[in-house]
Amino acid sequence: MEFRPKVLVTKIGLDGHDRGSRLVAAHLRDAGMEVIYTPPWQAIPAVVKLATEEDVDVIGVSSLATDHLIVPKLLAALRAAGLTDVAVIVGGIVPDEDEEMLLAAGVARVFHPGTALDEISAYIRNVTAMIRAGRVAA
Amino acid sequence: MNAVTPQALAAIRAGDRHAVARTITAVENGDPGADAVAHAIAPHLGRAHVIGITGAPGAGKSTLINALLGEFLGRGQRIAVVAVDPSSPITGGAVLGDRVRMGEHGSHEHVFIRSVSSRGHPGGLSRTAARIVDVLDAAGFDTVIVETVGAGQSEVAITGLADTRIVVCPPGLGDDVQAIKAGILEIADILVVNKGDLAAADATVRDLHDMLRLRRRTATPVPVLKTSATRGDGIAALVDAALAHAAAAGRGQRRGSRAAEADEGAAAVGRGAAPRRAAHAQRSKDHDAQAAAAIHRLIARDRFVAALGIRCVDAGAGHATVSLTVGAAHLNFNGTCHGGVIFALADTAFGLASNSHGLIAAGIDAHITYHVAAQAGDTLTATATEVSRTRKLGVYRVDLTRGDGTLISSFTGTVYITTRANEPGPG
Amino acid sequence: MNKPFEPTVQDAAGEDRWHRDYAAGIGVDRAVTNRSGVAIKPLYTPRDWSGEDFGDDVGYPGQPPYTRGIYATMHRGRTWTQRQLIGLSTPADYNARLLGIISQGATAVSLIPCNSVFRGYDMDEVDAELLGTCGVVVNTVDHMDACLSGVDIGRTSCAMNDPSPFTLHAFLLATAKRRGVAWDRIRGTSNQSDYLSHYVANHMFFRLALPAARRVLQDHIQFCNRHVPQWNPMSVVGQHMQQAGATPAEAMAFTLASALQVADDCVARGMAPDEFLPRFTFFFDVSLSFFEEIARFRAGRRIWVRLTRERYGAKDPRSWRFKFHAQTSGVDLTRAQPHNNIARVTVQAMAGILGGLQSLHTDAYDEALSCPTEFGARIAVATQNILREEAHLTDVIDPLGGSYYVETLTNEMEAAILRSMQLVANAGGMYEAVAAGIVQRQIGDSARRFQETIESGAQTVVGVNAYRTEEDRSARPSLPKPDPQRMQEHLGAFAAHKAARSSEAVARAQDALARAANDAKANVYAAVVVAAEAGCTHGEICGTLRREMGFGHVQALV
Repeated sequence: MEFRPKVLVTKIGLDGHDRGSRLVAAHLRDAGMEVIYTPPWQAIPAVVKLATEEDVDVIGVSSLATDHLIVPKLLAALRAAGLTDVAVIVGGIVPDEDEEMLLAAGVARVFHPGTALDEISAYIRNVTAMIRAGRVAA
Repeated sequence: MNAVTPQALAAIRAGDRHAVARTITAVENGDPGADAVAHAIAPHLGRAHVIGITGAPGAGKSTLINALLGEFLGRGQRIAVVAVDPSSPITGGAVLGDRVRMGEHGSHEHVFIRSVSSRGHPGGLSRTAARIVDVLDAAGFDTVIVETVGAGQSEVAITGLADTRIVVCPPGLGDDVQAIKAGILEIADILVVNKGDLAAADATVRDLHDMLRLRRRTATPVPVLKTSATRGDGIAALVDAALAHAAAAGRGQRRGSRAAEADEGAAAVGRGAAPRRAAHAQRSKDHDAQAAAAIHRLIARDRFVAALGIRCVDAGAGHATVSLTVGAAHLNFNGTCHGGVIFALADTAFGLASNSHGLIAAGIDAHITYHVAAQAGDTLTATATEVSRTRKLGVYRVDLTRGDGTLISSFTGTVYITTRANEPGPG
Repeated sequence: MNKPFEPTVQDAAGEDRWHRDYAAGIGVDRAVTNRSGVAIKPLYTPRDWSGEDFGDDVGYPGQPPYTRGIYATMHRGRTWTQRQLIGLSTPADYNARLLGIISQGATAVSLIPCNSVFRGYDMDEVDAELLGTCGVVVNTVDHMDACLSGVDIGRTSCAMNDPSPFTLHAFLLATAKRRGVAWDRIRGTSNQSDYLSHYVANHMFFRLALPAARRVLQDHIQFCNRHVPQWNPMSVVGQHMQQAGATPAEAMAFTLASALQVADDCVARGMAPDEFLPRFTFFFDVSLSFFEEIARFRAGRRIWVRLTRERYGAKDPRSWRFKFHAQTSGVDLTRAQPHNNIARVTVQAMAGILGGLQSLHTDAYDEALSCPTEFGARIAVATQNILREEAHLTDVIDPLGGSYYVETLTNEMEAAILRSMQLVANAGGMYEAVAAGIVQRQIGDSARRFQETIESGAQTVVGVNAYRTEEDRSARPSLPKPDPQRMQEHLGAFAAHKAARSSEAVARAQDALARAANDAKANVYAAVVVAAEAGCTHGEICGTLRREMGFGHVQALV
């Protein structure tokens, strides 16, 4: 099978602005990845179920407003469901002090507005390679 | 994951979401352990009712599937959905958006949805999809829905792995109805006109009934149902029709991995890794041996074949090679081999290959082109291969060569596949 | 169109000479198009626009074609309204901020509710971390009363940012009743009441299914026509689509198409055009594309008067006037080197003012990051004061009128707008086009194209893809989160309120609301007002309507 990261692009919480998440999803597809794209306002249990069934490598959470504050809840739910080797990245508006909190909670990386799309897809490719190497070794 | 541990197998059979998902990934990627998994779950197949749903974009398939999920859930079932989305032919990437369009029922704990992109599968999409369906069957889902878009060859081939095939049409197709007739109608067990609340829906239902009447009468009538997925109209009736079809045609009788592999086997050669090919070859060999024995029994009953001096050289599932040496009794008034003899040789290979799966297949259409004349003393060989085989129709190509390898003739034939066995059952 | 320009012999010589000098001096010239795809030349002359059709195309302010402005006096007679959209945390916090900016010159109220309210939930139905971070948590009449404490609602224009089912407006009416203020004195706008724009741009309000939102809007318009005559129930929104990536021309086109859709629905309901058209207002983003924005607003005014007169036969000049509120576009602002945003907002504000807006919200420099700080909000208000009183932008009406460039660009923007409107018309109108996803796909394509210009560097964004610096993290403002203690108190008070109120009255009002929803002849909004007065909460009202009329489901289109 050709190497194709499987990425979930989603929004949790209450904000509905999805221009950014749509652009990222389209870019990842054009970069040859398999993207599961959801509209905003996803419930955390639904995200966990989706990530489980689709066996995604990476979950990209697009966050404006303060939706990033509930990302730790998502991480906890993923761990409880046994998804310990899925990388969670957050893109959007995240103040500096919250970025540290997110990384400490287990978020792999935070991408701020103005990040080049290529940087995001390159990162996803690298982290997916590591995840899959880890699974084979397991 | 090379061997499958009892615990791993138990997890799959218990329907553990994580285990099932990981197993599907291994199958999709053609991981080393995929064959071991296929082998381990093989004894546990045949319980699920596999429903294939296809149709043109815009027919509202995803909304319809969401409504079906609700209905099945209401009947206490566990349902799995395999949603095939098209990938970019250039980048290979895909946005797998169907499951999201399946709305609220996708989150129900008795529903499992897996999205699959249409490209990049070793051995072909049909084979991968068939193996994924097998995993879900073994995981104990009552119903497995396979959803594809459009009427391309691979989409049609995928529905070949279903027990019940539903084709969804949007209303008001007009000229598009004609286009659909070419491919999809032939395979449908049930036709659905969705968005039934629109004015054009009734007219489309009538059009489809008309087209069905024009076709050859089939063993079982194909119902044409009207639904409105957004309103929930006609959904219960559709499920009833699907269950009735399964009761009549049998569930778990789907062609499954093997036939799907045969369809794409030729394409898979050269692409797959050695271990997979070896396992594939072994399975094919067993199946082939059975088919070869059956074919030899069939040809033994054929008096015309005996009269012409046609010999069976090789045979197996979906293929047959026969040969004949041109003698004086085979010549025409020009002193070359009579065209009817060549035709008979090709037709024999065609008949054996198409009947090799155990069901009576009756020829309904055949064409031959003669490229080069055959002479007395030439040994002619006709090799039939299976181009396409669906539930009702099979298409075969036969190449005829003479001893020095020259292609002397090309033949194409279509069979109608009945539901009767061509041999008495096991005693 | 224009009579061909006949230059004098000297002028022709000058023209030739400029062409030669330009070609010699420019080196490699670059092809320039604006965001709407209109080709932009280095120089505009009477050859492009010579004023021959002045009367038809330009005219005078306060009369058709309104290109130069909808009023005869425009900002010189009455300055634009300084309407800062604000919302923060609890009603008490909001009230303090509101009174603060009023004291600094803001002349109108605009209330942005919390995201939870956007979605139709009460504060006890969502994660507490998400409450009050971008808007004020208003779930009851009491909360609205507290928000507007000390504000004379009989005299101050209030904009409620809240579409179907307009509970915030209902809370406002109930507050007025409490204070003994007659409803016919209540002035303001149901800001962003345009359900189509929310659906298209997946904006935050998405509480009811599309057909339900359509119906409740009609009920709201009828109700206000009769009972709140000074209120503008219809605010047609271009902002969301532009923020989602629509070009300025597309945003104007789709907005006008939405207005036509709502107007058609009103006519279908039996309303006379002059009854509802005067109550239509528009809400746009203003981007950094300075001249493009000015030109598109001028074109918009011209198109609107034609449509209202020709399509609807409106006779009242108030029906012909394209009234709009503009907000400086947050999409142009950056997180990197945020103080640069002050310069950006200034340019955007100027474009809106020179484009003839009626009211203006200037973003704070940190608004791209979060709810603005008080410091940022103050600068935003001061920006407007400076433009008005130090730069004297109110002294001359439509000062760019007659510019060869601006008049030419106005014509070209009009053509681009009409092209996009035709796309919608071909699909059977805005409702059908939106339901089929046509508009969304168009906008998505524009968003992708614009993103490519930034990714490739063709469009410079200072501090982001050019002129970058090592940033001092301490210079980046932090997110003002609501005081968790105060939010807990707010939650506690809410729970107490629910326990103390008459559950019978609430149940009866909810029943009546449900019945109205299922009765095609009933006015659902009237039932919403009754429910608000009976003490029903925002979440309860939305919940009942969702149950009876359907939840809005988002299209997942990439």
